[in-house]
Amino acid sequence: MLKRTSLCAALVAGALAAGAVPAQDVIKIGAPLPITGPLSPEAKKQQRGYDLWAETANKAGGVKVGAKRMKVEIVYVDYQSNTPRAVQSAEKLITQDNVSFLFSPFGSGATKAASSVSEKYQIPTVAATASSSQVYDQGYKYLFGTFTPNDTLTDPLSDIVKRGSGGVKRVAILARNDLFPLAIAQEMEKSAKKRGLDVVYFEKYAIGTLDHASALSQIKAQSPHWIFATGYTNDLILLRKQMADQRIEAPVVTMIAAPAYQEWIDGTGKLSQNVTSAAWWHPAVRYKGQDLFGSTENYVRLFQAKYGALPDYVEASSSAAGAILQMAIEKSGSIDRGKVRDALAAMDAVTFWGPVKFGNTGQITSLEPPVFQIQNGKPVVIHPRAVKQGELQLGVGG
Amino acid sequence: MTLLYFQILANGLVLGGLYACIASGFSLVWGVLNVINILHGSFIVLGAYLAYFAYLKAGIHPFLSVLIAIPAFFAIGYGLQRLMINRIIAAPVLLTLTLTFGLDLMLQNAMILAFTADFKKLVLDPPLGTVALGEVVMPVDRIAAMVLALALTAMLYLILSRSRIGRAIVAVRMDREAAALMGVNVPRIYAVTFGLGVMMAGASGPLLAMIFPISPLGGPAYLGKAFVICVLGGLGSVPGAMIGGLVLGVVESFGALWFGPEHAITLSFTLLILMLLARPQGLLGRKGYE
Amino acid sequence: MKRDAWSAVVLFALVALLPLSGEAYWLRLGTTVLMYGVLAMSWNFIGGMAGYPSFAVAAFFGLGAYTGAVAQKYGVAVGFAWASAGLTALLFAALLGLALLRLRGHYFAIASLVVAEVLRELVNSMTELTGGGMGLNLPIPTMSSVDAQARFFFYAMLLLAAATFAAMLLTRYSKLGFGLRCIQQNESAADMLGVDTTLYKVSAFALSGVFVGVAGAVYASWVYYIEPPDVFDVLFSVKAIVMVLLGGAGSMFGPLVGAAAFLSLEELVWRNYLEVHTGVLGLLIVALVLFLPKGLLSLSQRLGQRAKMP
Repeated sequence: MLKRTSLCAALVAGALAAGAVPAQDVIKIGAPLPITGPLSPEAKKQQRGYDLWAETANKAGGVKVGAKRMKVEIVYVDYQSNTPRAVQSAEKLITQDNVSFLFSPFGSGATKAASSVSEKYQIPTVAATASSSQVYDQGYKYLFGTFTPNDTLTDPLSDIVKRGSGGVKRVAILARNDLFPLAIAQEMEKSAKKRGLDVVYFEKYAIGTLDHASALSQIKAQSPHWIFATGYTNDLILLRKQMADQRIEAPVVTMIAAPAYQEWIDGTGKLSQNVTSAAWWHPAVRYKGQDLFGSTENYVRLFQAKYGALPDYVEASSSAAGAILQMAIEKSGSIDRGKVRDALAAMDAVTFWGPVKFGNTGQITSLEPPVFQIQNGKPVVIHPRAVKQGELQLGVGG
Repeated sequence: MTLLYFQILANGLVLGGLYACIASGFSLVWGVLNVINILHGSFIVLGAYLAYFAYLKAGIHPFLSVLIAIPAFFAIGYGLQRLMINRIIAAPVLLTLTLTFGLDLMLQNAMILAFTADFKKLVLDPPLGTVALGEVVMPVDRIAAMVLALALTAMLYLILSRSRIGRAIVAVRMDREAAALMGVNVPRIYAVTFGLGVMMAGASGPLLAMIFPISPLGGPAYLGKAFVICVLGGLGSVPGAMIGGLVLGVVESFGALWFGPEHAITLSFTLLILMLLARPQGLLGRKGYE
Repeated sequence: MKRDAWSAVVLFALVALLPLSGEAYWLRLGTTVLMYGVLAMSWNFIGGMAGYPSFAVAAFFGLGAYTGAVAQKYGVAVGFAWASAGLTALLFAALLGLALLRLRGHYFAIASLVVAEVLRELVNSMTELTGGGMGLNLPIPTMSSVDAQARFFFYAMLLLAAATFAAMLLTRYSKLGFGLRCIQQNESAADMLGVDTTLYKVSAFALSGVFVGVAGAVYASWVYYIEPPDVFDVLFSVKAIVMVLLGGAGSMFGPLVGAAAFLSLEELVWRNYLEVHTGVLGLLIVALVLFLPKGLLSLSQRLGQRAKMP
């Protein structure tokens, strides 16, 4: 009993010390992230993106709020890759750390869960990594997302594949049984059927599947022209390898979302050749923006200078979340939540990330996501025409 | 359609060999020491990482890493048992489980700090490729893993049945008190057995590194398979682990065909429960040793 | 028994005063401690009193969470949703117990662990009903204020914890409790002496399920979004066990003490040792097993004894 009381006393003291009143000339933005746990690689990417934005903004003197400038401070909280903890972290950031704005946690599931909290407290929240329209279907007014809905990836992909390879007719789809991978696979099915393609196989695999051989053997037996697989980096490395194990060849193989990451290309080696993918951004796009980075090239240059590597779409999206929030604050001239929220809703501007205009669900509607293909170990953009770097090559495996 | 069935069967057998690799050391430790070594999965991962870095930095082929892993992990296992696990060897099931669980948390955290949580994949250059029996295709790396699993399992079996220390292990497994009365140094036997178990885990690591992406948090996935295999095959029986592995591989393979890939894992666990209810000693185990 | 009951009344009354502090953070932490207290006390029925190492807590929790969530999805009122979750968990635990309690030791442990995995995958595949891998959103509670909502869930968990404690107390001093102690000491002997071991074991297992099921449903309403991997997480089972071991297995206040101590430690560690917090937790568990296998309460007993020696 004694031990317990002294422990409690220590906790009280600690909490009191931590609850000090923050300085008033700093804009605090909360960022719950899965810093530990299975999703920690994604958290690192997001952090890099956020930090680059905060650093760049502060170096320029801060964000313009009416007549004065205020520096930004991002308050990170680790939710251990556990969604309910993400919700609680968001609440804690709002009620205890007194943040004025929020960045969503990673991924569609956690974003959706935490969005209820920001809606409850009316805190403008920018989601940098949530694309599924199910995330935005609750009628909330305070949630804004930088990813366009999943069909904006699958529709252009289907068009390009159909155009670039006259004979493609049979499509096989294998999806991880998780919010985003399943949602985008379902969009793919719709996009394919709309264009008159036959979906000859559609199955889901459980999270944590260690062996896909059976599913792949069945796919092989259908002789598909186009194989579409979704999952996270480790799933897609394993899938690509097991396709080679079974000598599966197809004119087109698309995987979402891992080929955008260097880790996937490293993990598949020569097997990455000619695999296609789509994402919401690519360092090769060229936009002249009204945001603090000015242009895509400038953003990429700054990122490379700080981190020594090209940014991927998650990192860029996180920086974009900050840049977009900044633009809304500067437009409204204050950090009043209602005013900033309205400025976000009304935004219609070009940024290094692309044109930014939010639909009435809060999800961005103005982007044209690039489609790319891994050629000789490097991602090559094959759509849209404005930033095209190469042509679609057919034939994966063999 | 028959071709598909043969392919699925081949997939299952080759997967089964891999599974046997994962489970034999685990089964031995559980059967002889009555200790569920939660660290087993993470030791496999550790072995995989070592092989990955050996290949990346020094070009050491994973097959060679297996040979290096054998003495290294045996030493780790022996030391761990002597230092910590021996203290609670007579304690209830729960305490030993909790201890190895706590140790596993520490090992996982250490690996995350050392290797970061990104997935790494050992990509062989040139790759080992595939081999075909008629129309049925099998990847060479998995076959190699299966062959090595058989070799390690055979080696283990020989140690247990031919050597003096092996026979002492079997004696301790059958009746600890009687063995002690016959002059067997039981604590030392426990340490050796644990060492052998960890050795099998560490030696499987390089093989699995060629096949799966590696992550510090990947241990529990392998452990889950090991549980099912041990129950299927019978605790403490090394041939049992082999049979159990093969059965599980084939069941999962056909399960994915008939019920869909999303249910393959559920199927294996359901099989586990049914097995526990119908025949807890497993296919090759003997009644009374649970 | 009277002494335990009065101590409990005082304890719960004190805890009920927590909302007066006005701190949302404390309220949230308190609700979490109470929830884990329910899990730990429930485990005590089957693990502490009967001596069967059950890992089924996660299965019951997830089952309760989804039952309550799905009920609410179809418009059932919150209170009824929670009650139905408890009832479902009770029935499931009883049936499961009949099947599994024939096994002993490690085999029982493994089987109970695996049940959660099987349930998780089943829930994952029932996409139309449960949302499957995409998760399930619950209706957001419509309460007068943010604070009122936090208080509501705090008191809900408090009542549940009190009910669990009462059940534990009544069981211990009843024929069931006596029977369970006999089973733990020597099941075959108990059987021979005429103790209906099956009935008692299954009752204990069912008790270990009902309150956990309600806790799961309350939890789901509290966080308003659940996914299968979150609520069928094996860590719920493991933490419940560690908490009971920490406090002292089989004792009345052990589970609560253990839950409070464990969660306080976890919060402190998480806040200060971010990169190594799982490792530190592991270290604590190892230290606990090696040096304090009978739990914290035994420590105070030992200190008390030392004080008495001349």
